[in-house]
Amino acid sequence: MTDQHPALVLRGLAKRFDQKVAVNGVDLDVPAGSFYGLLGPNGAGKTTTLSMAVGLLRPDHGQAWVLGQDVWGDPVRAKALLGVMPDGVRLFDRLSGAELLAYHGLLRGMDPAVVDRRAAELLDVLALTDAGRTLVVDYSAGMKKKIGLACALLHGPRLLVLDEPFEAVDPVSAALIRDILHRYVVGGGTVVFSSHVMEVVERLCSHVAILADGVIKRVGTLDQVRGDRSLEQVFVEVVGGRTATGEELAWLSN
Amino acid sequence: MAVELSPPRRVSTWHFVRLKLRVLGNNFRGQGRRIALFLVGVMVALWFAAGGFLLFASPGIADEIGYAGMAAAFGGGLLVLGWLLVPLVFFGVDETLDPARFALLPLSRRTLVTGLFAAALVSVPVVATVVAVAGLVLSAALLGGPVAAVVAVVGAVGGVLLCVAASRAVTSAFATMLRSRRVRDLAAVLLAVVAASLGPLQIGVTAALRDADWDRLRGVAAVVGWTPLGAPWTAAFDVADGRAWAAPVKLLITAAGIGLLLWWWSRSLESAMVGAASAGSARPVKEVTGGAVTQLFPRLLGRLPRNRFGALVARECRYWWRDARRRAGLITIAVVGVFVPVMVNLTGGGFSMSPEGDLSGAGDSSPALVTSSMVFVGVLASVTLANQFGYDGSAYAANVVAGVRGRLELYARMTAFSLYVVPLLAVVSVVIAVVLGEPGWIGLTAGTLLATYGCGLAVNTMISVLGAYSLPETSNPFAMNTGAGMTRGLLVFLSMVVVAIAGVPMVVAAALLGAGWLWLALPVGVAYGLGAALLGAYLAGDLLDRRQPELLTAVTPRR
Repeated sequence: MTDQHPALVLRGLAKRFDQKVAVNGVDLDVPAGSFYGLLGPNGAGKTTTLSMAVGLLRPDHGQAWVLGQDVWGDPVRAKALLGVMPDGVRLFDRLSGAELLAYHGLLRGMDPAVVDRRAAELLDVLALTDAGRTLVVDYSAGMKKKIGLACALLHGPRLLVLDEPFEAVDPVSAALIRDILHRYVVGGGTVVFSSHVMEVVERLCSHVAILADGVIKRVGTLDQVRGDRSLEQVFVEVVGGRTATGEELAWLSN
Repeated sequence: MAVELSPPRRVSTWHFVRLKLRVLGNNFRGQGRRIALFLVGVMVALWFAAGGFLLFASPGIADEIGYAGMAAAFGGGLLVLGWLLVPLVFFGVDETLDPARFALLPLSRRTLVTGLFAAALVSVPVVATVVAVAGLVLSAALLGGPVAAVVAVVGAVGGVLLCVAASRAVTSAFATMLRSRRVRDLAAVLLAVVAASLGPLQIGVTAALRDADWDRLRGVAAVVGWTPLGAPWTAAFDVADGRAWAAPVKLLITAAGIGLLLWWWSRSLESAMVGAASAGSARPVKEVTGGAVTQLFPRLLGRLPRNRFGALVARECRYWWRDARRRAGLITIAVVGVFVPVMVNLTGGGFSMSPEGDLSGAGDSSPALVTSSMVFVGVLASVTLANQFGYDGSAYAANVVAGVRGRLELYARMTAFSLYVVPLLAVVSVVIAVVLGEPGWIGLTAGTLLATYGCGLAVNTMISVLGAYSLPETSNPFAMNTGAGMTRGLLVFLSMVVVAIAGVPMVVAAALLGAGWLWLALPVGVAYGLGAALLGAYLAGDLLDRRQPELLTAVTPRR
């Protein structure tokens, strides 16, 4: 029945930190089954928006629904449908990969046998089995991303919200993550992820929203947003800013 | 185009001081609550400083040179010891200028150490200490005239420098030790050493106090005066007493002490800088056995339920051991928990009216005194939880995303911590009773400990939900963010006062009720503590449900 609802709906989300307005009224409708890319330059408010959408950061204004469940009205039910991989947030990294997965699985109220099976499979697919009992704190950046993704996937959520899933990931791992996400969407799941890497977004996404200065500047299907140009051209035009140096920095070339 | 290759300008100590002031200032910008806390902290510090000033100044005002020397030796010595131990046990050190941040800058070790040292001097506790030891200068001036006053000023400055150098060197060295891979063995060794030293210590202290009188104390004061602990403070009174030759020697001892401490600090600083760059190399990878769930649960806790509660407890248990910060807390409880009650009870007995206190120490102490010291241990044990969410930092987001209920979260955290601490408290209660030669008091010691500990869990859980603050992500377990020192100090102080008050009924009962209480104390204490802890988790859990995102924001380090 939740399938009749859009996967994620945001209405008028706004957040101010001290004097700075980080997000200034974001509306977003993510259809179920879509692969949704949230694009924006550094500091555009992507992380803040996603944090408010999944219940990590209380918005000053606005509301969020996950598959029809009000995130801030009934957090527990909404969060049960969600898998989240935040960016710039530590994992419980003094656990090994397997321990971390077990922790997340049990925390989600899963059957221990299922947790064991899925954890083994995920570690295997993500090539993390070799790490054995190595603590996550000692993982490389790419491995941390992968284990974070595994934690978000473990309980089979209907909606996956990923903040910068391709940051600091090598090409092989990135291809692996793309493949996993692709299968997840084909299987009926919905992915929302933030990024500022155009090519990844162009390759994966069915829908795109461009966020800058805390507001949505462009939104729609990938083809609607980019028209007959490349996504990068649209992005640079929307976001503005300088892309080349002039006379300055002459001392660099010495 | 010509490249300017002018030699880089020298980095002076002043740069570090300015940097620290700037960081402090920026930290206050637009943060009314922080400014208020800071001001409260300053008031508290000045209050203590004024007390210290009067204490040090009164012998001079009363024209009692003998007492002045003693006050300087003992008071000053305690001051140094306080600077040495208090950061380790309670407050941590303010790492506004984290040495690791300077790792990439081309600075010599000498510049760095003197700079960081100077920056460390810019702090409220240093100001408070200076105010307090100004009392010594006044004393010396009244007793010995201008020459003594000048020596006192030099000595006091040296003494303050010594205090700061000692606290920096010791916390830094301790942090290095805790970071190392062999720390588990180290912790065990440390505990064993403390346990083993209890016996001789007890005999020594009791023997020293058996015939404690003024002459004896004067002798001890004279000896202390020749150690770095007392040298900076007593030099001026030697001048006043006509032993001018002693002053330069004592000032030299002080200078040597400062030099040695700074050298020691610079050694561990270097390892702190390198250590932070490669936070933890890979540990030997052990063979993986069993499924993921089996791996999460420590073997000793194999019977925990495989559900949310079990997972939370298992993760917390792993963290209390694997996280250097938390482990430092546990080790502190273990060491201080045994050490302090033994000292209090033995010396407490020594100063009481028993002229021939016997060697075993039996009969020196009283149930009320023992109970009071147990209250202290219970307070200390539970105060470790006052910022339990701060230890997690942003990792706490995992629990928020999973929608863990507040009460469940807090019950699990209490359970996990108690799995470590309750056995420890049991050991403490037995050790104390045995050391005092009163095995019959085990029920009393254990009951009081558990009662206070339970109340402490309740109070500190509440504080951890309401007053959480972020810890810096460095490898130094004693490091704190700028300004957090004041918050932490006040919270710890508040929690300790409230918990101590909650423990008062046990002391009153011990003082008023007779021998029957020795047996009643255990069941009553357990029921009291358990009830308080459950009630605390119940109330705080409700609060946590409403404050989860705010709590997460509070413990996430600002970048």
